[in-house]
Amino acid sequence: MNLFLSVLKLIRFFLFLGLILVSLAGIAGMFLVFYTAKDLPQLPSPLSRIIERPQTRIYAANGKVLTTIGVRKTIPLNMVSRDFINAIIATEDHRFFEHHGLNKLRTLKALYITLFKPGRVQGASTITQQLAKNLFFSFRQTYQRKFKELLVALQIEAANTKEEILHAYVNQIYFGAGAQGIERASRQFFNKSAHELELSEAALLAGLPKSPTNYNPYRHLDRAVKRRDIVLRRMAQVGFISDLELQQAMFEEPELYHEKTDSRTGSYFQDALISQLIEKYGEDVVFHGGIKVFSTIDTRLQSYARQSLTKGLERLDAMMGINSEDSEHPQGALVAIDAGSGAVKALIGGRDYYKSEFNRAINSLRQPGSGFKPFLYYSAFKTLGFHPGTIMTDKPVIIPVKGSADWEPQNFGKIFTGDMVLKKALFKSVNTIAAQIVEKVGPHEVNNIARRCGITSPLKDVYSVALGTSDVTPFELASAYTVFANLGILHEPFLFWRVEDAFGRIIFEHIVQEKRVLDPAIAYQVVDMMKSVIQRGSGRSIQKLGFNRPAAGKTGTTDHYKDAWFTGFTPFLCTSVWTGFDKKKTLIDINHVGITGGRSAAPIWADFMMKALKSEPERDFPIPDNIRFEKVDTRTGCSPVEETMPVERHESYKGNKIVEVLQVPLKPEQNLCLKEKPEEMEQELEIQ
Amino acid sequence: MTRQWYEPLSFFEWLKRAFSFLNIAVFMITAIFLFSELRFDWFENVVGSYLASSNESRPKTGIIWETGKHTTNAHEYLNTIINEKEDIQANVHGASSFSSLVSGILPGAWVTLEKDHFKTLYFSLEKTMAAKILDPAQLIWLLKGSMLDRIFCEGITGGVKIYFIDSENRVIKQIELENQDTLELEKGKQAVTGELSEMEGFLGRIYSAQKFFDAVFKLPTDILPDLMVNSEILLEQKGKIINVGIWNITQDGYIKLGFEFEEMDSKKVVFIKGREWAVWQLNLYLKGDEN
Repeated sequence: MNLFLSVLKLIRFFLFLGLILVSLAGIAGMFLVFYTAKDLPQLPSPLSRIIERPQTRIYAANGKVLTTIGVRKTIPLNMVSRDFINAIIATEDHRFFEHHGLNKLRTLKALYITLFKPGRVQGASTITQQLAKNLFFSFRQTYQRKFKELLVALQIEAANTKEEILHAYVNQIYFGAGAQGIERASRQFFNKSAHELELSEAALLAGLPKSPTNYNPYRHLDRAVKRRDIVLRRMAQVGFISDLELQQAMFEEPELYHEKTDSRTGSYFQDALISQLIEKYGEDVVFHGGIKVFSTIDTRLQSYARQSLTKGLERLDAMMGINSEDSEHPQGALVAIDAGSGAVKALIGGRDYYKSEFNRAINSLRQPGSGFKPFLYYSAFKTLGFHPGTIMTDKPVIIPVKGSADWEPQNFGKIFTGDMVLKKALFKSVNTIAAQIVEKVGPHEVNNIARRCGITSPLKDVYSVALGTSDVTPFELASAYTVFANLGILHEPFLFWRVEDAFGRIIFEHIVQEKRVLDPAIAYQVVDMMKSVIQRGSGRSIQKLGFNRPAAGKTGTTDHYKDAWFTGFTPFLCTSVWTGFDKKKTLIDINHVGITGGRSAAPIWADFMMKALKSEPERDFPIPDNIRFEKVDTRTGCSPVEETMPVERHESYKGNKIVEVLQVPLKPEQNLCLKEKPEEMEQELEIQ
Repeated sequence: MTRQWYEPLSFFEWLKRAFSFLNIAVFMITAIFLFSELRFDWFENVVGSYLASSNESRPKTGIIWETGKHTTNAHEYLNTIINEKEDIQANVHGASSFSSLVSGILPGAWVTLEKDHFKTLYFSLEKTMAAKILDPAQLIWLLKGSMLDRIFCEGITGGVKIYFIDSENRVIKQIELENQDTLELEKGKQAVTGELSEMEGFLGRIYSAQKFFDAVFKLPTDILPDLMVNSEILLEQKGKIINVGIWNITQDGYIKLGFEFEEMDSKKVVFIKGREWAVWQLNLYLKGDEN
């Protein structure tokens, strides 16, 4: 009996305690509501009014819309597929039409799970709460924010009908891939209006807002389809669809619209473009100004660039024995610039934008290796009066460096081949000759030429600059090589032609200005030497792959095969391709042989250029009036003694000796049989 | 009178007290309170209605209002750009001379210039002065023979750059006008008050009128039109030439000649130009006389 009385006492105690606590909680709650209410945001009326913001549009060079930033307009609820509305309600908040902003039972359950089952997360937000959060609050999870969000949700419910709430919700919800609002998402993923969505499509879209990146169907179709099936089952559970409809919809394969994926995959370009626009006009104008930007990007070339780079990097993976499961893959970048204007036609800054948004085309500073030699040879021709037929010796070189150890550059093949003309030295990429030249001309002069051509990254005035030890970006190198493609004329590279405001009034226009920065005849001499790189030098894989147009270029491979480049051009288009690891790891194949620019980057370049130029007429580089051609014996630097074949190069046995003949362009005052000048002559030149 | 509370002494008394009217009432009220909330969501309604009633007094904060502010900022900024551009366009449209064109465009600003307007400004200059801006043959080529689409003016510090561009926005021809130059060109017929010796550029090359003309008449007569290209200006001046100076800089194949006039007590200098090679020949005679 005493025990029973004790239990009764206990019950009485807890009953009264509970009542007191509930009362106190009620009072505290009311106080909290009054206290918090004054800081809550004002709600617009109607709710959808402020969801609209002017749409900034970015157009490709062919006038197609590349991407849009912002929401164009809201669409009425009756223009949204019923299936989608059912799907989103079934998935996100199946009691939407019953509650007043708060699903109490679900909230209690979520609270229980949060408190007593650590590690598990249970969502309990109603559609109204999600709307409140999306419209007014940051995504920072705090209890205060959750409480405010709840209060705003209650006000939204009190001041709007369920239809108005749903209308606002479906028009502002984010689906990923740049699509905000159901109409935009429907156009983005299925190229149809929101009211045309079928059950399976509607369910797929309704599954995306939970995690737009993870369920992005362009990237993870399997995950998106699994999520769609969950949505469909939920719809069946709630009673929106029958089992038959469920089975039919689950059986359907989604037919995604892929045309717009290019703009997303090419987002490296968009990122670069948007950064430039922000720098020029500020974020408000770019993201909220409703401007129209007419970019330089050629969607066709951009698509080819993506294909070529992807294919090339997969080939590189295979060469290196890297599987898809491996965590680290080599990266790549490609930049293509219209030589005649400086307009950037294609830009890919990495292997996969969705895995790494770091734009290697513009922001990655890497050593160009021998890709820097054209600037060196130009300096030598300009300053020392050398020409492609000047003879120099490939020999061991030791260059004393003030305050540092002597510099002993090595050739790629670690052998020395004796006398040769400079044309051959470039296409064979002979480092010892490059080193001798930079010693004569000075690194400062070489850097000056590079800067004149548009290289803006800091360049060190050290001898090794001749072998490309100063970091540059693929964008810079592509732009600088266009100067050679134009025989000395610089066009500033640019990403957009025109910017207009929402009413079509022009805010900015790019004017293509020409600036002569190099001597055309000397530039032509360097171009002719760079043509040989493709014809018989380190880039000859390009011709083997079927690219037979007149083109010039230079490979670049840095120490320990950390970077492999090919930058080349036709008179129309200049393209730079870089491959390598982000962490400067060695590019080495399965046979432990280092991978050069000629093996990794040049095939990507060739593949891209063949596709990009297929509709362009074939044209060679114009020969300046003051250029004449002469044949030269590559070992003597003089006219060949016996000449039988009227081709640019031939090898013939003269006794036991091979005679190699090349054709070199010379200026009127230049003659063959020019040995590198003795010191006195150099001094005379300097005095002049 | 107070009643001392005591603990129930029996189980029945416990039950009696537990199911007292007050307890049942409190329990019922609490239950009704809770179930009515679950059923009718009155708490949500009351709070929601209260918040709706105080809506107007609350701040416009939060992501979506911020977005609205950004939009307003963006439009204000864009309108500023457009308004400035329209003002400059209006200035340029009303420009009746190259100097007013130059002064109407701020550094960094740009506007398009109608082809006819450029022609009007060009032809408003005296022929030789106009040729200094653009050779007539080049103008003919630009307007009638080239792929010219538009003329584009960009303000730079102290002047303006004029771009003749084709339909692909490529610059066909570019000229740069400095404010001082345009003023000088337009004042070509006017005299500058002062003496040659006070002007930079003539030092050591000032000759008396007698000496200058003596040397001139030693030259073959067919050279004279090239020596003094726009000499009619000199005839329009009042006063007498006392000194002549030769400028020390060549511009576009011409050298400036300064003629110092004296009228009453005032002195002024009038400039004309001569072809470089003709002036060079004259110089030989002038220097020869000195020797």
